[in-house]
Amino acid sequence: MNFDKKTIGIAASNASILANIASTGRFASELDAAKFAMAYAIKGGATFGSFDSVDTKWNVGSFDPDGSMRALLEALFPDAAEPYRLAESLMNEGIRRIGETLGHNGDFYEAIFSST
Amino acid sequence: MMLQIKALHLENFGPFKGKQVIKFSLEDGVTIIYGENMRGKTSLLNAIRFVFFGKVIGRGTKSMPLHKVGNWEEASAGRHGFMVRLDFDDGGHNYELTRRCVLKNGVSSPSSDDDYGIEHYLKKDGDVLGPQQAQAELKRILPEQISRFFLFDGELLQEYEDLLSNETDMGRRISEAIERILGVPILTSARATLHHLKEKSEHREATAAQGDQKTREFGNQLADLHAQRTELGKEIERLEGDLDKARSQKASLEEAMKKKERVAALLEKRDTIDKLLKQIELKRIAKEAEVQRAMSNAWCTLLSEPVRAVGKSLRERESELQTELMRADVLKSLQVNAGAPCPACMQEVSLEAQERLQASLHCLSGTERAKKDVELSNLRRKIAALQQYEDSGHEGVLKILWDGLEEILIDYSAKRSERDEIDKQLENVDEEALRKTKFDFESVIRQIDVIEKGIAKTRAALDENNADTEAIQKRLNKLSTGTVDSERKRRQLFSELHSLFKEAVGAYREQLRKRVEADASTHFKALTTEPEYAGLQINGSYGLTILHRDGSLIPVRSAGAEHVVALCLMGALQNNAPLRGPIVIDSPFGRLDRNHTRNIVRALPTMTKQVVLLVYDDELPPDLARSELKGKLRGEWMLERVSARHTNLASLKA
Repeated sequence: MNFDKKTIGIAASNASILANIASTGRFASELDAAKFAMAYAIKGGATFGSFDSVDTKWNVGSFDPDGSMRALLEALFPDAAEPYRLAESLMNEGIRRIGETLGHNGDFYEAIFSST
Repeated sequence: MMLQIKALHLENFGPFKGKQVIKFSLEDGVTIIYGENMRGKTSLLNAIRFVFFGKVIGRGTKSMPLHKVGNWEEASAGRHGFMVRLDFDDGGHNYELTRRCVLKNGVSSPSSDDDYGIEHYLKKDGDVLGPQQAQAELKRILPEQISRFFLFDGELLQEYEDLLSNETDMGRRISEAIERILGVPILTSARATLHHLKEKSEHREATAAQGDQKTREFGNQLADLHAQRTELGKEIERLEGDLDKARSQKASLEEAMKKKERVAALLEKRDTIDKLLKQIELKRIAKEAEVQRAMSNAWCTLLSEPVRAVGKSLRERESELQTELMRADVLKSLQVNAGAPCPACMQEVSLEAQERLQASLHCLSGTERAKKDVELSNLRRKIAALQQYEDSGHEGVLKILWDGLEEILIDYSAKRSERDEIDKQLENVDEEALRKTKFDFESVIRQIDVIEKGIAKTRAALDENNADTEAIQKRLNKLSTGTVDSERKRRQLFSELHSLFKEAVGAYREQLRKRVEADASTHFKALTTEPEYAGLQINGSYGLTILHRDGSLIPVRSAGAEHVVALCLMGALQNNAPLRGPIVIDSPFGRLDRNHTRNIVRALPTMTKQVVLLVYDDELPPDLARSELKGKLRGEWMLERVSARHTNLASLKA
């Protein structure tokens, strides 16, 4: 039985960070920024973690319209039974990490290109 | 005629508290008044200006309120007002000119010029002259229009550069003043009178012709033309009056704009920066959209490395599984086809070998085989999923885009800071007033253009009228009658006299220019320190250009050279003017090096009989002045500080 998530949410503590990242003008939408944060977390070696009380932001249909994200996550994390839950977790972790870097007077440019 | 100052009496004028006096030698030569900055040198020049014209001029050319001229210490003690008296000699007569600025009755705490009254009187050889007579005498002795050649601030000598261009109103005004001091107006007034008499005689001739049957028709035509000419003349006069007003308005607007030049430049710079900011903003928007498009796939770029690593391990596993399954298939076929030749070498397999094989090889069961197939198919699906991410985007491209955007933002921020800095400098500036001045200036230029065209058109009509009049007069000449004949002779006489004076004005101007040029060149050769300079060349507006000994003109000159040339012009004008007087100069050497200063000091006594220099020690060291002037140094005075608002005049040499 598949209990994976049907919606993707952002933790309350991350909402303002995501809004800040999106407002830098480098992303066309918060969704693009959130996906970037997810990749940032994966690249940084993050694994599944839990975030309390996330507020729904997107449904998986708009988050991953062709299912390729799911397939990618399944490939990268073969043990993950619920790829979208994992995506949500990684996304929040990525936002948290970026927020932390920016909070320490870090430059967004540095934060992004030091990880690429 | 030669005006010569004998004494200047001051009472509470500027820093000169109480009653003070400077006495000047009656012998030809130079008097030097030394004073550091803010001691009152300019006030002394202004005291002479005030006593003659009732005006005091601040830095530049703007009149200063008289309310601010009285001694400040006295004013704070409740004693307001001031007085200047000038004792001078002119044409063998002794004059005493006194001008007072006094509080009006009932005023105890003045706040503006309205609270003061001006009283003045002129004594000639001990007798007080009536107001009209006094005014006429003063106008003769020193007309205000030419005072710039007698009383001047060395710093303003720069204005004479305008004489080199015929386009500025300042140049035109100076040029007019030069002609005035040289006496040209005497001739031009005579020419105007003769023109009036000629017109009058033409009218009389027309009237006479109208009185005779034979000549009535021509008389009527001449009378009409005369009436028309009178109207055209009035129109030209009106237009020229308007043109004068417009030009002086233009000059004062020019001056106002000059003062606000720095602010105007800042406003212009700000407008340019605003335009640039708009362009940069558009660039930023376009670049940002480009970055955003690239960033929507940036997450894939970020993952390309882990995706490649996982892909590699999945492909290895795929290869393992494929080998395993192929092996299993070979074994299975051996098991199923026992006794058949070996599928690899196609040779018979012995029974013994067959038994050994079956004992040693483990064959996959059907279930195991199916599991492996599922695993392989899963692996292939995952590999396919990863493949589309393996090569999606390159971080280098992203970086270039970001760097491009950063560059634009840095550029924007730099321009923005520059603009903020300008805004700070413009904080208390009345931009509206400045824009209005600029607008008014442009309007007055358009107005001048319209008036000039109007004048040209009216002059053309006047020329046509004159031609018609002449043609009729020729025909009238053939019809001789007694009265008309005598009027014609009168008209011809005035007409010829008018033509004569017209030519005389031109010839006199030309002679003057040549004389001024020759004298200015003589002064220049004595003053310049450059041996290759041969003299000065004059233009139609009395502007002087330095001439090199090879005959070429020196097109550009420094501020110092400008002062030297202007001083040469002053000297030449004094040499050629029917009206001469003392030269009083404030800070004449501020821009000059020591050698030029030395040359000028030495040459000053040749320019006019009485020179008064207002200088500070460093500008003209007393030792240098004494050694260069020798016996021509007629007096030395020092402006001694008593307090910030009190200076005393002290004589250094009797």
